[in-house]
Amino acid sequence: MSAQRRFPRSIDALHELFAFTAETLADESGDGALSRTVDFVLEELFTNIVKYGRGATPVLVEMAAIEGGVQVTLTDFDAEPFDVTRAPPVDVTLPAESRQPGGLGLHLIRKLVDSIEYRHSPRDRCSRITFRKTRAITPAGTRPETGETNAGD
Amino acid sequence: MLAIDFGADGCVVVSGRLDAAQAAAAQAFLDRVEGAVTLDCSTLEYLSSAGLGVLLKTQKRLLASAGRLRLTGVSRHLQDIFAYSGFDQIFEIEPAR
Repeated sequence: MSAQRRFPRSIDALHELFAFTAETLADESGDGALSRTVDFVLEELFTNIVKYGRGATPVLVEMAAIEGGVQVTLTDFDAEPFDVTRAPPVDVTLPAESRQPGGLGLHLIRKLVDSIEYRHSPRDRCSRITFRKTRAITPAGTRPETGETNAGD
Repeated sequence: MLAIDFGADGCVVVSGRLDAAQAAAAQAFLDRVEGAVTLDCSTLEYLSSAGLGVLLKTQKRLLASAGRLRLTGVSRHLQDIFAYSGFDQIFEIEPAR
């Protein structure tokens, strides 16, 4: 399995993005946990590009099968550098009155994926974010019920 | 798509996908509820961080006026998201049966 598609830089493109995930991971076995997680991570990364990016070029999303899961790459053309893997940690132990909506997405991504890499090329102002998600259950720190690993821990 | 409305027993029922494109609609509905509110999540298929923000903003507003938002019918997947977010300490959560 391998697929790629370009999406306009608009929140309204989310439904197209989710349709792409469903179509590409259509053969996924199980309860849909892989698709839900890929959607979650894609939505967060894509909406960050829409909200904070200044370019006009559509965002390229590529998916490729890896053993037990999928590798996804988002390419943002004409982007300022912003390393999503180095976003500040969120204190999730604070009480409700001290919590602020927002900021959780990048924190959660690091919990949900197996790995995530960020690269920015100053020469062509191109940012690439690649994450991998498998249904693997074996590594320490996994949650047996879902197979979700804690990449950021 | 997202659907949110009052159920037959007075709780609020949210169904479908609560993502960034639907967060404003969900927030607009929840901004109108008051007091102790139960949100039935048993048919909520997907919740993104934008949806988490909607729930947190609502909970903060209700707690400030002695109310609260309680979540029921929460799937295993959503329980994990809430745990990673620390929301399991902010909301009373009743798992799906």
